[in-house]
Amino acid sequence: MEIDIGPVTRLEGHLNINTTVENNIITDAKSMGEMFRGFEVFLLGRDPLDAQQITQRICGVCPYAHAIASSYAQEAAYQLRTPPNGRILHNLIQGANHLYDYLLHFYQLSALDFIDVTAITGYTGKDQDLTQLRDWVNHALGSGESHPAAPFLPRLSGTYVTDTDINITALKHYVESLEIQKKANRASAIFGGKFPHATGIFPGGCTRPPDIDAISSYQALIRDVKHFIHNKYLPDLLAVAGAFPEYWNIGQSKGGFMSYGLLPFGPEPDSPRLLSPGVLLDGKIEPVKLDAITEDVQFAKYSSPSGLKVAQGRLTPAPHKKGAYSWVKAPRYDGHMLEVGPAARILVDYLQGGNKTVKQLVDRFAGIADIRPEQLNSVLGRHLCRAVSAVVIADFLLDQAEQINPSAPFIPEIKIPEAGEGFGLTEASRGALLHYIRIKNHKIDHYECVVPTTWNCSPRDDNGTPGALESALIGTWVENPGQQIEANRIVRSFDPCLACAVH
Amino acid sequence: MINRRDFLKLAACLGASLPIAGLPSMVSAALKTVDPKSVPKLIYLQAQSCTGCSVSLLQAEAPGAVAMITQYSKLAYHQDLSAASGKQVLDLLDAYISGKAGDYFLAVEGSIPLGMPEACVIGKKPIADYLSAAAETMSGAVAIGTCSSYGGIPAAEGNLTGAASLNDFYKTINKKPLLISIPGCPVHPDWVWKTIVHLVKIGLPELKDTRPAAFFSRKVHELCPRYHDFQQEIFAEKLGDKGCLFKLGCLGPDTCADCPTRWWNSGQTWCIDANAPCIGCASPMFAAKKDFPFYRNAEASISGTPGEKS
Repeated sequence: MEIDIGPVTRLEGHLNINTTVENNIITDAKSMGEMFRGFEVFLLGRDPLDAQQITQRICGVCPYAHAIASSYAQEAAYQLRTPPNGRILHNLIQGANHLYDYLLHFYQLSALDFIDVTAITGYTGKDQDLTQLRDWVNHALGSGESHPAAPFLPRLSGTYVTDTDINITALKHYVESLEIQKKANRASAIFGGKFPHATGIFPGGCTRPPDIDAISSYQALIRDVKHFIHNKYLPDLLAVAGAFPEYWNIGQSKGGFMSYGLLPFGPEPDSPRLLSPGVLLDGKIEPVKLDAITEDVQFAKYSSPSGLKVAQGRLTPAPHKKGAYSWVKAPRYDGHMLEVGPAARILVDYLQGGNKTVKQLVDRFAGIADIRPEQLNSVLGRHLCRAVSAVVIADFLLDQAEQINPSAPFIPEIKIPEAGEGFGLTEASRGALLHYIRIKNHKIDHYECVVPTTWNCSPRDDNGTPGALESALIGTWVENPGQQIEANRIVRSFDPCLACAVH
Repeated sequence: MINRRDFLKLAACLGASLPIAGLPSMVSAALKTVDPKSVPKLIYLQAQSCTGCSVSLLQAEAPGAVAMITQYSKLAYHQDLSAASGKQVLDLLDAYISGKAGDYFLAVEGSIPLGMPEACVIGKKPIADYLSAAAETMSGAVAIGTCSSYGGIPAAEGNLTGAASLNDFYKTINKKPLLISIPGCPVHPDWVWKTIVHLVKIGLPELKDTRPAAFFSRKVHELCPRYHDFQQEIFAEKLGDKGCLFKLGCLGPDTCADCPTRWWNSGQTWCIDANAPCIGCASPMFAAKKDFPFYRNAEASISGTPGEKS
């Protein structure tokens, strides 16, 4: 029996999953990206400095990651010497964006899959946020109007948390986290100019000088975010994990993992990063080889050739192409299907002993949850790895802000060469992000983006191998095949961004 | 243009209790407590969007986003916030767009792929099908952000999908719904939410073209705190400099928006406060031409640019 579970809500953009369900088991899943714009084409012929602005509009949830990846690529193409302050400002902007994004993902996008929102109707406490929410929900439910208490109801059928304290606390934090997200975004906007879509980010630095006024505001805001992460986000996540321990074993992807590494310690292109890069295949970590990345399109809606390397990428849309079922291409690494994202980022770092705090946190939480590190490849594993990322990033940002020399340069002079090329690699909150720029006659001659959700939500490759999300869904037991809350939880654990994936 | 008949229709759908004639009664309405029965229901659809406008709407400060969707409006559907998923969503959209679920406003983020309907699909149907059906039943539409207002980046030179604004979409199918456009890439949360507060408490706000005049009547340059630098010819010569950013290509002189007085992110900062030239993100010609880059060491940019006329 074929069942579409899309449009899948509480993720970015237009995703459908076509599932085949037999005896309550998902026997096949096709991940379908359903919106196309064509960024790589309309970037051609533009001024290269337009790129970090235009590419932010690929995604309004993680625009800064695109600005940073584009800036890295341009720095390489211009052979730019980035001042230490410039790199720190990039980090401060990008890191704060990660913190915001993890909170948005846990509370607004994912929590309603686990937390019982109807618990609010019986709330007896005095918290103002909660009494207002209770009265509003109760009024709506009694009003006889169509779809009362939207957008919080209706919801998918399934089992939700039964503990009242966990539910009420999480709902309180659903509201409170919006205020904390705003603080994280205010912090990054100090140097970016605004959030989303910063105008202040350039190759090699930012336009806003890091004076003591700016730095102290940034640190105060990030301290508040850090407090929330430690005292609310982590306990809420562990409470949900405690209520749904089976999700440590649900939603495993069946390929390798890759991380490009996140947040460089220094300005040089090969500087070590807070979280180390690598590819994890068959239990072994190896360095990332960019030459190994290709994009297949047999099942994607493009008539351009399949299997091209990044620097040779082409884009000819073919909306009616026979057999194609998605606007997302299928990137592969030496032919291997990979998962990218928080679990990949943490596993790759953990297994090579990169960041000591990561090791301590993973070991501690694995002990609490009684799981093995391999089980980070799961619904709850992805959630936990976001929280681990959040903890180490928040500390790093506070430390980086201390490393600024307010009287030193913070943005280099930029001269666009007649010709050049460069790769920019970073970790968006959703995973490994690559930008490639080639310049001729001082204009963009070629631009390619291989984006985290391009990997995770890819359709089959030319060999018929499913993408990471597809592989994580196949084999899953679902109680109600018409709604599939279990599949929804798996999909959201990847935090898909379809505007990114297709771009 | 909005005529008086449209205005009355709009006011009527917001609840009969709202006075619609004469300033004194408008003011008294503004002082009333909002009646939950009369707040507009919003169906928020994303077309060719990046979700940046939705994310921006969550950055609202006073009122905040939760108050806006519970006290001043009812968010019947939003892709990023709705607990409902899959078939529940398609049923909900069908109930509203068919007219069975009562009055509603449509909010649309993103451009519409006029030349390639398959480039934006929800539940096997092109977004265009939803929008054309809604024209028959909705009280009005709000175009959220520059893509929906003018086409924006998906409609920039090299546009593969025929991406166009909501207004242009309705023109091509000969519909003339009540339409408010609120540009910005992203839109400022106040520009949208305060328009909704105005709708709820007073009625339709004054419009300039189809934009709320309160936010888009004056050029960024006219309101800019660095206007003095411009007059004194204190110019930034390179990125990172203070002073008027005109010589770096700032499009403040060509862009109507109140960023210089409103600021962004809870009043933390805004582009020019961070020494970042305005790139004209609320302008009809935002990013439109390949040979008009954002950053130009050009004296000549104030005349003959593709920006707006006063």
